[in-house]
Amino acid sequence: MDKLDTVLKHAFSRRSFLAGAGSVAAASMVAGCSNNGNSTAPTTSSYTDADVLNFALNLEYLEAQFYMYAATGSGLPSSLTAAPSGYSGSYTQGTVTLGNAAKVAGLTPGQQQILNEIAYEEQEHVAFLRAALGPAAVPMPSIDLSFFGPLALALTPAVSGFNPFASFDYFLLGAFIFEDVGVTAYSGAAPLISAAGVASGYLTAAAGILAVEAYHAGYIRTTLTARAIAAGSSTAYPYLGVANEISALRASLTVGNSGAPMTPPSSSTPTTETNLTLPTSGTQPTAIVNASQANATGYARTVNQVHHIVYGSPTVGVAKGGFFPNGTNSIFSTTTA
Amino acid sequence: MATQETQILDDIIVAGRRKMLALGGSALAGMVLGTAVPKAAAQSATYSDSDILNFALNLEYLEANFYYMAAFGTTINVPNAASMAAFIAAGGSSAQAAMPIPITITGGGVGTPGTVTGGSKVIFGATGTAVQSYATETAIEEGKHVVLLQNALGSLAVNQPAINIAAGNGGTGTGLSGAFGILANAAGIPGGNAFSPYASDQNFLVGAYVFEDVGVTAYHGAASLITMSANLSAAASILAVEAYHAGLVRTTINALDPTATTIGGYTQKISSLRASLALAASPTTLTGAAANPYDTNPDDYGTPTTSVTLAGVTGNTATQITDADRTNVIAFSRNTNQVLNIVTGGGKVNGTTVNPTATGVFFPNGLNAGSNGFK
Repeated sequence: MDKLDTVLKHAFSRRSFLAGAGSVAAASMVAGCSNNGNSTAPTTSSYTDADVLNFALNLEYLEAQFYMYAATGSGLPSSLTAAPSGYSGSYTQGTVTLGNAAKVAGLTPGQQQILNEIAYEEQEHVAFLRAALGPAAVPMPSIDLSFFGPLALALTPAVSGFNPFASFDYFLLGAFIFEDVGVTAYSGAAPLISAAGVASGYLTAAAGILAVEAYHAGYIRTTLTARAIAAGSSTAYPYLGVANEISALRASLTVGNSGAPMTPPSSSTPTTETNLTLPTSGTQPTAIVNASQANATGYARTVNQVHHIVYGSPTVGVAKGGFFPNGTNSIFSTTTA
Repeated sequence: MATQETQILDDIIVAGRRKMLALGGSALAGMVLGTAVPKAAAQSATYSDSDILNFALNLEYLEANFYYMAAFGTTINVPNAASMAAFIAAGGSSAQAAMPIPITITGGGVGTPGTVTGGSKVIFGATGTAVQSYATETAIEEGKHVVLLQNALGSLAVNQPAINIAAGNGGTGTGLSGAFGILANAAGIPGGNAFSPYASDQNFLVGAYVFEDVGVTAYHGAASLITMSANLSAAASILAVEAYHAGLVRTTINALDPTATTIGGYTQKISSLRASLALAASPTTLTGAAANPYDTNPDDYGTPTTSVTLAGVTGNTATQITDADRTNVIAFSRNTNQVLNIVTGGGKVNGTTVNPTATGVFFPNGLNAGSNGFK
């Protein structure tokens, strides 16, 4: 029965994902004059600094579980997923649907060291946010690490058999799905922190995690680009092209600012994604940094836009799906825009 | 709580924070002013967002000129065929038509205009074409940061100060010159007094390493000081880009020297030097009483591997692509005195002496700043 439920759940997730994707083209046509994804306060009637940090904690649970399985074949310890002592909220601890989740196959020692670093750092982000929130920290929501497959089928063109645990290059793509999103999520969330939260050090903590996410994103984008340059062509290294397909999908899910990713040289259309490039000589630039062409500043996404991406649905009102089959354990879990 | 309406109130409260800082009534004051550094406090008691952005603009002038020189063999205000071609290839088109080429270095006219000393196009190619492409991308992006901050500041923008990005001349003692030579020598890099970041792919990466993590810590430290929400968003978005750059540099150094026997080892020497210069400018970290929890000692790590605990299992070897506190993995933050001490080689704080204007190494005449600015 569990197996059947899982299959049905995935089928449902994917259906809403694909149905939603169909309406993206229309949405993007009116998005041309929208802003640069800069965050505005969500329409949720009220929220606290703890709500903002718990939103971040949900994303860290997801990232940490992905990297922990990729690096070690095991997930976060229960001490980092259960409700904290004294927790009085209504959210319950979820489970991890593993899919293909396992230690990534065929890693060199150097690659293993990279995975160990990122896994450790995301693990510690979970620990840090839980410690900062104390008894207000939400437990881990249910996480579906089998969603990579359905997500890859929604790419254009579809990629079948996508398994981020199958090889180092596939892992890079799995990580690529998350890292730029993490950066934009923290950029969008930082201004939501109240003045009291700023005085309490929440803002500097959020900014410091933002930087770490950008270090990670820099690693992933640099490594994809370097391996493509070394291979000599996008045909010889198809992963670069798939990464750009992922950017396009993320952009299409960024409701309110869903312009297509920029590929330098590009137009001035505001967007939230920059395509990786494959320079054919040293005088041509790479596109490691995911930033606006106009002034080289990073993008920001609202809590709604981030939820649309991790749920895999641009439908306003969507409250679960994708990597979070029961939704995030967050006051922002239901998208309002 | 922060409803739509209280958000507006919050903005007003936040805007009043400057007054609290002037009164020394907030723990945050120590983050930039340094509770043990009263002279600096007096200097900057009434700083504004423009002072913070101008501090950042000085650093961007430095970074942009270094990368322009490395990638194109020219400064930001003197276009050549290489810089123009790269600007277009990086997306410069109708969208950037309003963006001045050459990049102006007179800002809004505040402070004494200076020129760039030293630097030359890097002899690229020893490791393939990738490093030159990285330099090309980064140069264009740092140049855009200069323009962005100048535009945001308008008539309050500072002029480019005098900048030294020269390679080491191989001298000793008072005969040693060239910012990179002085810094590399102080860091203990073999042959550091003759170090040139323009000599090879590998040396360029070491030169870039000197700047990028400093940029991250500087923007991180500044984020909490900014009062206007729009300025905070801008600072956070530049912080992200600096961290992408830092990630790029550290990833590439690790890829070229995974055992940290050459340039990877140099990163640890540079990080240690930065940490000691930062510590000298923030003595509170000695007593464990730093106002900022992310101003720790040491506050910098190179790329050599370390050992981490994963799900309770110890002894996992891990790289250090990320430059962050090893316990909670939050990037470090530095106050303006700490950053000044790094880019001037200890010119701001020396023992109990706090100089009104830090000079040395990359900024031989100091930074340009408004009357209450950071320099």
